[in-house]
Amino acid sequence: MYLARYATAAVAASTILGLLSVTAVYAVPKTNLLSQWDNGSDAAAIAKLGEMFTAAGGKWESTSIAGHTANTLAKLRADVVSGNLPPAVQLKGPEIAEWDATGMTLSLDEIARKENWDGVVAPELLSVMKPKGSWVAVPMNIHRINWMWASKIVLDKVGIKEMPKTWAEFNADAEKVKAAGIIPIAHGSADWTDATTFEIVVYGMDIDLFRKAFIEGNTDAMRSPQMVAAFEQYRKMVKWMDPGIAGRAWDAAANMMLTGQAAFFFMGDWSIGTFNAGGFKEGVDYLCGQAPADNGKPGFILNSDSVVFFKQKDADYLAGSKLLAHLIMTKEFQTIFNQAKGSIPARLDVDLSKGFNPCQQKSQQDLGESIKAGTLVRSFAHNMTILQKYRGAAMEVITEFVNTPNLAANDAANRMAEAVEAQQ
Amino acid sequence: MAVEPVTLTSVKAAPNHGRMLRERLATILPQLVLAPSLFATLIYVFVFCGWTIWISLSNSSLLPDYSISGFHHYVELWSNRRWTIAYTNLFLFTSLYVIGATAIGLLLAILIDQRVRAEALWRTIYLYPLAVSFVVTGTVWRWLLSPSTGVERVVHQLGWASFKFDWLVQREMAIYTVVITGIWQASGFVMALFLAGLRSIDPDLVKAAQIDGASMPRIYRRIILPAIGPIFISVLVVLLQFAIKTFDLVIALTGGGPGIATTVPAIYVYDLMFQRGQMAEGAAAAIMILLALSLVLVPYTIWKNWRERREAARG
Amino acid sequence: MAEAAGYDPLGAAGTWRHQRAKLVVYTLLCLFALYYVLPLGVVILNSFRDLPDINRNGLIGLPHSFSLNYWSLAWDKFCVGGTCAGIEPFFFNSVSMVVPATIISTAVGAVNGYVLAKWRFTGSEVLFGLMTLGVFMPGQMVLLPWARVLGWLGLTNTTSGLVLIHCVQGLSFTTLFCRNYYVNIPDDLIKAARIDGAGFWRIFRKIVLPLSPPILIVTVIWQFTNIWNEFLFAVIFSSGTHQPITAALIALSAGGTSVHQYNVESAAVLIAALPPLLVYVFGGRYFLRGLTQGALK
Repeated sequence: MYLARYATAAVAASTILGLLSVTAVYAVPKTNLLSQWDNGSDAAAIAKLGEMFTAAGGKWESTSIAGHTANTLAKLRADVVSGNLPPAVQLKGPEIAEWDATGMTLSLDEIARKENWDGVVAPELLSVMKPKGSWVAVPMNIHRINWMWASKIVLDKVGIKEMPKTWAEFNADAEKVKAAGIIPIAHGSADWTDATTFEIVVYGMDIDLFRKAFIEGNTDAMRSPQMVAAFEQYRKMVKWMDPGIAGRAWDAAANMMLTGQAAFFFMGDWSIGTFNAGGFKEGVDYLCGQAPADNGKPGFILNSDSVVFFKQKDADYLAGSKLLAHLIMTKEFQTIFNQAKGSIPARLDVDLSKGFNPCQQKSQQDLGESIKAGTLVRSFAHNMTILQKYRGAAMEVITEFVNTPNLAANDAANRMAEAVEAQQ
Repeated sequence: MAVEPVTLTSVKAAPNHGRMLRERLATILPQLVLAPSLFATLIYVFVFCGWTIWISLSNSSLLPDYSISGFHHYVELWSNRRWTIAYTNLFLFTSLYVIGATAIGLLLAILIDQRVRAEALWRTIYLYPLAVSFVVTGTVWRWLLSPSTGVERVVHQLGWASFKFDWLVQREMAIYTVVITGIWQASGFVMALFLAGLRSIDPDLVKAAQIDGASMPRIYRRIILPAIGPIFISVLVVLLQFAIKTFDLVIALTGGGPGIATTVPAIYVYDLMFQRGQMAEGAAAAIMILLALSLVLVPYTIWKNWRERREAARG
Repeated sequence: MAEAAGYDPLGAAGTWRHQRAKLVVYTLLCLFALYYVLPLGVVILNSFRDLPDINRNGLIGLPHSFSLNYWSLAWDKFCVGGTCAGIEPFFFNSVSMVVPATIISTAVGAVNGYVLAKWRFTGSEVLFGLMTLGVFMPGQMVLLPWARVLGWLGLTNTTSGLVLIHCVQGLSFTTLFCRNYYVNIPDDLIKAARIDGAGFWRIFRKIVLPLSPPILIVTVIWQFTNIWNEFLFAVIFSSGTHQPITAALIALSAGGTSVHQYNVESAAVLIAALPPLLVYVFGGRYFLRGLTQGALK
């Protein structure tokens, strides 16, 4: 049955090739991008990518999988199991290396050399995009995680003149806010939001600890006294949150800060999209600043979305993958996409002076400075470092810590180390 | 009780082969009709289960891998705190949810069956939660149950400042908000099933009992409810499968939180199989769900067989 | 009205007690209705409010702003999943999947139920038990086996593939519902028909089907709403422009790190709930009573 069909197809194909050998040389680039960018501004940015693809003569299709990241990964696995490798998939961090190891990914070295990607992409991303030295993924943006947002109204009311720079300053300011009867920290609890705030704390207190525990996955570092100290600082911060954090969506928490119900808010730069949608302005309603860091250096926790390409038998899809990779790396797309997302381009050579939010401009500047200072790290909470099984186990403990008032810092640190060890 | 499949006419007269074949065909027609569904279901249930068991014993991680590695994924599973919490939640949630939804569904069906005006309106109101995707209604319920946006805030604004309703954010109580919301969604359908059952009852039975002077509660207890016994089975099966497959509800309502307090096995399976690349352990967890189910089904089957045999013995 | 036929449960009581009982019934119905309608009210209100209003005054509240615009945005303009055509295309994708899947699974389930209730043979009860087991299979568990089967059949990423999955998974339910309802049909009816020479199909058409409307509508309601709202298979086994409505709905409501457009989401949710609601309203008339009586005469 299959053989017969293949034979017929082969005969038909060779006939057509024979007749139309001229057109066959110029394959029509085709693609189907599997992603999570399914809604509103994200979807609009992807739709724009589709327009650029079509304008370049390609046939564009995209499949966006909503909700949990697991849905996208489930779709990818189902496609692999059923024997239809998708041409282009949104994958990030260590997943790129994992899928690269299966031997199913497509090398983009040729086009990368031609367009000098090694020279323009942020250096911290190179090892992620080239797990075995060969380009198999293209980065679309750089999100900054270690942002601290503050309500201008509250700071003015309480008399805080400057954004706190260290955790000690932060703690003092939070006490002032609390004394004024305002919630010091706006938060919505979920595993990833709890982990986001915690990684900001760890990074700000001890960057070496961050590297050992969250980039190398070293469990001794996870149960070290420094980690216990970080959990203690986190416990203080949890007490400065209101009792309604469980189940609150992150954007609802953002609104608490924006409307002056709470003073500070820790979240990545995608918040800017929400701020803009509510009509809130930087300098008027909210302020942005690097989250406290005790070493006094500029710092940057980086997260990046990327697209991985898989091998295809069909020449049209191969041509499409090359075209898509090229388009994603253009300054034009990196600008459009990131203006909508609140992040900054993954290329370091894009000018942000027009159409970007002041916080985004600051983000790009800080990125450069943290590269110089050697403080740039990848995000653990946003799946840029250790394998999902370790990350998931550690995040469970962090979110439990936030929601269990009597869980001691020491126990939490030990439990995190044990949970990760159990997965090894 | 059931009709014997052998027909009265087919036994003796069989003058030619064509007719005999047709008659034999007629005898096994019911089995023939059932065969395709049976084939599909057997593949769906047994082959798919077998595949999952195999995976749970294998080295699968990112993708299925068929080399056997033994039972250690089950050991890992049971050493995981989150799994223990999820498994406990499964039993707690299932029992409260099944009892609650059955009781409310039956009550609603009986109420609607009292020749109420605008029956269609009531039915639609109770059924609509099923029509709306849970991902959405779960989110709305989260707003309603959250102390900072929902019922508690509204009551505070009305002037009752000490009012507290914060189950959603209490680790010990959050699972009960999942029960409340689950019952809200499913009880309408339970109502519909029971209503169909109530309508299948021969009205003469009830009329006769009414003429005999039996009170209505007594008639429900003695005549109507026993008559719709098989519908109870349908209801229980539907609710049981809802309960063990609960996924969207928890994701939308609590996200498994506060912390990991409301995690359920289905979320765990999905997380491990597809998010974390631990396919074998995820498969082991799926098998454990089915084992939990057999804790209910096996005793039920034994009890049913025992009862049938006893009835048969009595003649 | 046919619904009014049969017995009157409150008929046996005296007038005064009758009134009091009615009062109790309606009070209870209203209280429950409140519990059921509450979330819907929030969604309806939000579908008319503008975003600054929602962001500043909270998700639950009376509108300070009013616009019908979000409904039209949700229907054919909002950007979902790489196209900016609202939920309209997703809506019709779902219709083309749900209608055949519901009809086929209900029809097959009715016949199966008829066999298992009225044409029992040795082992038929065991087979019924096995078929019922199908309802318990967790979707996450059968995902990859299904992917493999669809790959073999060449149905990957097609609507037919989804219809097949929903039929097989739905069979257990439809068979269960119908079998447990048909058991209540008096055997005498069937026996009488067989003595009159009626065969398998004729008895089904002439006796069983006319008695079936209440259970068939319940089955259709079940299959229709479940398939309509099913997310996992719908999204994993479809691709590109063939995604069903749930893909769009979840895209709208679980927007991850993008901005929530609560008003458009609410309108989309309400539009997406319309088809099942129509089934409930129009199917409701088949909740008849006492047909057994009619058939006996």
